[in-house]
Amino acid sequence: MTTAAISIRDVRMDYPTPDGVKHVLGGISYDVTEGHYVSIVGPSGVGKTTLLRLLTGLAQPTAGEIIVAGKRLSGAPEGLAVVLQDYTRSLMPWLTVERNIALPLRNEKISKANVRQRVKESLTEVGLEGSERAYPWQLSGGMQQRVSIARALAVRPRILVMDEPFASVDAQTRFDLEDLVLKVRADFGITTLMVTHDIDEATYLSDDVVVLYGKPATVSDIVSIDLAFPRSQVETRNDHRFAQMRTRIYEKVRGLS
Amino acid sequence: MRRIGRWLLAVLIGGWLPVLLITWWWNASADSTDPFFPPLHAIWEQFQYNWIWQFWGIHVMPTLQNLIVGFLIAVVIAIPLGVVVGSSRTTATYVEPVVDFIRSIPPVALVPIFILLLGLDSSMRIASITFAASFPILLNTIEGVRATNVVLLDTAMVFRLTRNQILWRVRLPNAMPTVFAGLQVGFQIAFIVAIASEILGSGFGLGAFTLIATDSFMILDAWTGVMLLGILGYVLNLVFDVVERISLRWYFGQRKLV
Repeated sequence: MTTAAISIRDVRMDYPTPDGVKHVLGGISYDVTEGHYVSIVGPSGVGKTTLLRLLTGLAQPTAGEIIVAGKRLSGAPEGLAVVLQDYTRSLMPWLTVERNIALPLRNEKISKANVRQRVKESLTEVGLEGSERAYPWQLSGGMQQRVSIARALAVRPRILVMDEPFASVDAQTRFDLEDLVLKVRADFGITTLMVTHDIDEATYLSDDVVVLYGKPATVSDIVSIDLAFPRSQVETRNDHRFAQMRTRIYEKVRGLS
Repeated sequence: MRRIGRWLLAVLIGGWLPVLLITWWWNASADSTDPFFPPLHAIWEQFQYNWIWQFWGIHVMPTLQNLIVGFLIAVVIAIPLGVVVGSSRTTATYVEPVVDFIRSIPPVALVPIFILLLGLDSSMRIASITFAASFPILLNTIEGVRATNVVLLDTAMVFRLTRNQILWRVRLPNAMPTVFAGLQVGFQIAFIVAIASEILGSGFGLGAFTLIATDSFMILDAWTGVMLLGILGYVLNLVFDVVERISLRWYFGQRKLV
């Protein structure tokens, strides 16, 4: 039996607005299997980011609960790391790459030498060895996003949450980062949840794609992506089953079926 | 080598106009007999006699001392207060209208009130300087701390930084460019008030010296006072810029790239 790393149970989220209460999430239930890569897709404004804020403990659901490691979520859970879309605003511009990565390690009781070692390992994992002393703004967008990923890896998370992680970089860099994420996944097997609007990307990277649809949003489909690992940008994307799955997800996102 | 070259070029580009103006002034005023516009070379001779270093101790040191002490007290009061107010919306709603009202009063106009309250010694001058310099620093600190972007705060919270860590390692560094702008404006106002507070009821200090010189028809002395004030203001501002550039290297580096 597989265990659920994250258990989302009938989660509802309402926002008060001047025109009355807005129901954003209307009863979302889903179990994320330990070690799986799950993408959450859906039309713009459906509440993907809201769900992500609930999963990271930044907001509390109106009803329902989220269980992480057997505990009901209230506030940011231990062992969870994030990579956000806006790398220019999620890395601290006044800290060097090394200090950015080391910042979340402050509350862990590890020696300075160990911190430096972890920073080094994380940077090597993302292919940025030797960039410790640069400032984030001296790096390209793709490299900054690699630093974000390194920062997430340095805390040795059990769960990685990513919000549109590759939305602000150019196409070539995007492919590189996608493959980097696959490599990280193969190396560490971290349970990963990614919010994205890019259906191809979701299909390419995930074990499961969860489609949110409707107002309020509910899970309209869960598509199992049983394409073989390791995946490759050319072969995987040319697989006719890849096309079938992305078509199915596309139709669900568009509300066509 | 290239850096020195670029620096030299900047000095040349920035310097030609002042040099031209001074040369023109020097020549145009050389034969002046107008008592109000004495020749520049006469002013310069008097300047050297007065300030290197005849009256430095009596007139310059008290002004600088008041200025620096008053300004530092303002920094020590306004920054923590700004951090408290900026971190909490509720406090801000209570405090801001009052702050907005008081800061609208021209600080120089309050000097007589401080004289009434504190008399004519340097505590009055320091209090005026502190009062005037506090507002820009306070307002900018509030603004800077409040304007920390949400993504940064979210990131810090998900990585489980404590409240204190978020304050010291995220909010404050993020606010520093804005705080620095406030410090600079505050310092300029402090300088103005330092001089203005001496014009009323003082025998010492640069402001007093210049005023007394004007009142006693010692026009040369008055000119040297004004000149030294200009130079002091310029140099102090320059020091400020250098400190800012060094301590906010990340900010200027980032801005240069954008």
